[in-house]
Order: sequence, then C-alpha cells, then structure tokens
Amino acid sequence: MAVAALPDTLLDELTAICGADHVFTGRSALFNRARVPSPFPLHRWEDHIPQAVVLPTSAEQISEVVKLANRHRVPVVPRAGGTGLTDGAVPLKHGIVVDVKLMNRILEIDIEDRTVTVQPGINMLKLSEELRPLGFIYPDNPASYPCSLVGGRIGTSGWSLIGGRFGHTRDLVISFEIVLPTGDIIRVGDGGGKKVRKSSSGYQLKHLFMGHQGTLGIVTEATLELVKRPEAEFSAFYAFPTYLDAWKATGELARSGVSTLAGVVLFDEWKLDYLRRDDEAYIPQPDWVKAVVAVAAYGNADELRVGARRLLRVGAESGGTYLGDEISQGDWASRHDRYATPLHGRTRNGQVVPMSWHCEDASILYSKLPEVREKWHRIADGLRERFDMFDDWGMFSYTNGAFKPWGDYLTEIDIGIWEMEWDDESWAAWVDAKREIARIAIESGGSISACHGSCREGEVDLVPLELGGGFEVMKQIKKTLDPLNVMNPGKYLLDSAYEDRADEED
Amino acid sequence: MLGFRLAAQKPPDATRITDAVVMRFEHIYEVDPELMSEHIQQQDLPAWDTLRIVESRWEHLAWMHDHFADSVVSGEELLKEIEAEG
Repeated sequence: MAVAALPDTLLDELTAICGADHVFTGRSALFNRARVPSPFPLHRWEDHIPQAVVLPTSAEQISEVVKLANRHRVPVVPRAGGTGLTDGAVPLKHGIVVDVKLMNRILEIDIEDRTVTVQPGINMLKLSEELRPLGFIYPDNPASYPCSLVGGRIGTSGWSLIGGRFGHTRDLVISFEIVLPTGDIIRVGDGGGKKVRKSSSGYQLKHLFMGHQGTLGIVTEATLELVKRPEAEFSAFYAFPTYLDAWKATGELARSGVSTLAGVVLFDEWKLDYLRRDDEAYIPQPDWVKAVVAVAAYGNADELRVGARRLLRVGAESGGTYLGDEISQGDWASRHDRYATPLHGRTRNGQVVPMSWHCEDASILYSKLPEVREKWHRIADGLRERFDMFDDWGMFSYTNGAFKPWGDYLTEIDIGIWEMEWDDESWAAWVDAKREIARIAIESGGSISACHGSCREGEVDLVPLELGGGFEVMKQIKKTLDPLNVMNPGKYLLDSAYEDRADEED
Repeated sequence: MLGFRLAAQKPPDATRITDAVVMRFEHIYEVDPELMSEHIQQQDLPAWDTLRIVESRWEHLAWMHDHFADSVVSGEELLKEIEAEG
C-alpha cells in the first residue's frame, strides 16, 4: 500500500523549522526508519513507512514540528536509536518521524552533585567513554548498550543488565525535559529541581512520562546519575545437571545479600542446546551440563573480593560447578553481542538459515519460573511444527529488581525467525503465539513485559487485562495530553480513547 | 610479484567434535559444512583470516571488561584462596 506524500506546503514548513539539510523524504531515509529489530512483517513493509523524516537540533525545533503536526493533523513518531523491541518507533500511521540522533551532546557534568545532563540522542557507551577520564560511568546497560540512545531508554523505561546493583533506567534518570503532544515544553522529575532524586512535592510525573513508547511526547534533555566507575568486576558461571537445581541456586544467589551483586541469570536446557550448536564456550561442555547460572558483581576492589568469595561459596553449596575464568569472564563480556552479531538458526532438518533474533520478555515471579518455562516452550514447539522458519533458542531468566535482586525475573524466550519467509499466515500464527505467551505471563501473576514494552500486535490485546482499571486511566491521560491524537497514534490500543470523537465526526 | 594465494593459507582438515560441529584449529569451532549446503554456503576462509577474527574477538572482550571496570577479579584465584584456607 503506497502512502501519499505530504503536501509541499507542509514540507516547506518543516524545512523552515529544521533547515533543508534536516528534512528527508527519500526512499532510503523513510524505509530505514520503518522498523525496529523486533519481528517485522517484511511482506507488508510499505504499511509502516513514514512520509517524512526530520532530524532537529533543539527542543524548540521539535516543539514547532509538533505544533505543525497538530495544525495539519499529521502523526508524529519519535525515534532515537530504533533498537526497541516493541515497535515504539515504528510509524504505524505514517506521518513525520522525529529522529533525535543529532541531539547528542553532553550539556553539563556536575561532579559536586553527581549528575550529567545530556541530549536524548547520546548513546550510553559513548557517554561512559566521555565520563571515564573523570572517574565516572553511566551504568544503564541493556543488551543494546552499544547502539541504543538515552531518549529511547526513557521512552521504553528500559531494563539494565546490571540493574540489581545500579538500578534501571527509571532509577538512573533523575529528570528530563519533554515536548508534550501539544508542543508545550515541560520538565518532569521527582520534584522541581532537575537534580533532585527524591521529592514528595506533587504528582510523581517522571514515571508517567517513562515507558510511554513515544505516545506522550518527545524527550529533549535528561539529567542522569553520575556513578563512580567500579574498581573491579567479577563474574562467575556455574553448571548444573538439571534446570531445577539451577533454579534453586539462582534463588540462593539472588538472596545472598551481597551488596555488590549486579545480577543473576539462569539459562535453561533449551538455551544450552542452542549454545552447544555454535558457541565455543558450550560446545565442549560434557553432556551432564543441562543448565547454567551466572552472576556478575561490581564495586570497590576490596568489597568486591569479599562478595565474590561469598558468591562462589553459595554457588558451590547450591551444587554448581564453576565453569572457569575463560567462560565466566568471556561470556559476561559478550552480553551485548546479540545486537552486533549476524545470527543464524536451523531448519527442522538442521540446515543453517539466516534468522533474526527475537525474544518475548515478561516479568515472572521466581516461584513460577519452572512452569512458565514449560508452557512457553510448548508454544514455540507449536510454531516450529507448523512453519519451518521458527527456531527455539531457549530461555533465560534474569533478576529484575533494582537494588534488590530477588522476587521477580526478566524472563525471555529467544526465538530465531527466518524473516524472509514471512507471509500473512505465518505472521498471524506468530501474533497468536505472542498473545499466548503474554497470557501465560499474566495468569502466572506476572507482567507482559519487564523491559521491552507491550504495544506490539498480539500481546497489546492483553494490556487492558493486565492493567485493569488502570488502562482506562491511561486512555484518559492520553486524550487529555494529546487531544488530536497526533503523537505516535496506533500504539497501546490508545486510539480507542478517541472513539467518541470518531462517532461525532461520522 | 607474489600476491595472495589461498592455497598457501589452506586451513587444516577438520576434526569432528559433535554431530553438528567440526574443528580445524584448537578451540576454534565451525558449523559442519554439510549443514550449510541448502540455504547458505560456507565461505572459504584463509587460515590467517580465521585467526585474525578470533584474536579480534579476544581484543573486543578485553575492551569490554575495561570499559566497565578497572580490573577483573578471577574466580579461579579466589577458589584457590578459599581452598588453601581450608
């Protein structure tokens, strides 16, 4: 389905706001901003392309673009790194993509009050490189660490691999400036001062504008935690003969009380089978190794050594076999590989095919991990039996709490998808599978998503079920802040907030 | 003038490791070429290029450790300490 071009007059106005060099309507610029790494219906690519792309350089420019979109009733879709896994940056209703990549400067480093203020287009890896000479780090550490941007992390309310020690995005972002769907510019935080971590003044608006997947505005500046660079890192991988042994050990390690502990991760039998195909660390492992548990810790060298000794003791007392420094250190250092490494999977007859990696994530209570794992794998098996384009790459569960790494777990099932094979039937089956995966998460007392968000086809249908009356409040907030529904429409079923208006217009 | 000659960099014959994996250099594994015959063809890589990729990989991992902390604590050394202490 070809989408109509925007009127020349509107493009002229965009050019007047952002400059001729910052407005794009060419095929490459549009198509490359149509998708994110989550599974994408390649056979319907044109359904999702924007009509124009702008790369603004200031909050004022973004404000003017949003006001223009309101005047013309054209959708506006914010985009940062485009690495999200729930389609937040996908322009479902076409319109203008506001790409913030040129807004990538560090505005202020405040060593006394320990904050760094940045624009939304800066990347965490780059930010930490800049902070290193001063002895600091910004420890928001998703798998997409080398390529995702601060603005997207706020839009997603992201999850960090070392969040158990340093907190997740919501804990590391102190306040931020945001252009509302009407074009007004406000700052939200815990309170008034942009560097204040804890306030009881008024509503806590920071959380409202975090994780909205671009439906409530565009972040233009953020004040972040400036964290002392760790003196030392420790990681340990333990092998177990059964999943349940590994699951019990995971709980013991997570509850160990070691203050430098940054996270515990549990790999299941399917994950081990997958890794034995291609991963140099796992191919030589003996057959009895059926599950693996990993821990990571950061801190001052002296306290870290004490904590690491405790973790090694707990791991051994839980029946784990330490897999050695090479695997423990090497696998931990490779935790961002999935965003950089070309992947392949296997057809049912074992042949290698190019596949995209995808993971369905959820927040699952520790006590429910074993049963959820079995149900999710049955869904993946069903997909693979019907379509020789899906490949079950196993599951992992990762401590989910900030500063208190126990209780619920970010749980993912990784599924390789041969995306060149998509057609309407396989896409529909995939969407059904995602919905069932989400249903199992909710029925187990969990949440549809711990880190990606939940606004893609399939699982989004169950967001009202998960949130209950809260979803009606979401709709009222959306309609109040975005009366013309121009800000990233089509996401989170929020178009339903405007059904009364559609009836009136009919 | 002598140019690059693939024959001079021919990798060693493969040793089978598992049903799906073979090995030509110590601890460097590759997918069984038989499994790359229908949809993706395996490339011929000269030995130096395989070794370059592996070395680069180690360099990348060391860089990533260094990116997050000043030092890495060895679990093997700590276990020896614990063992020595009884």
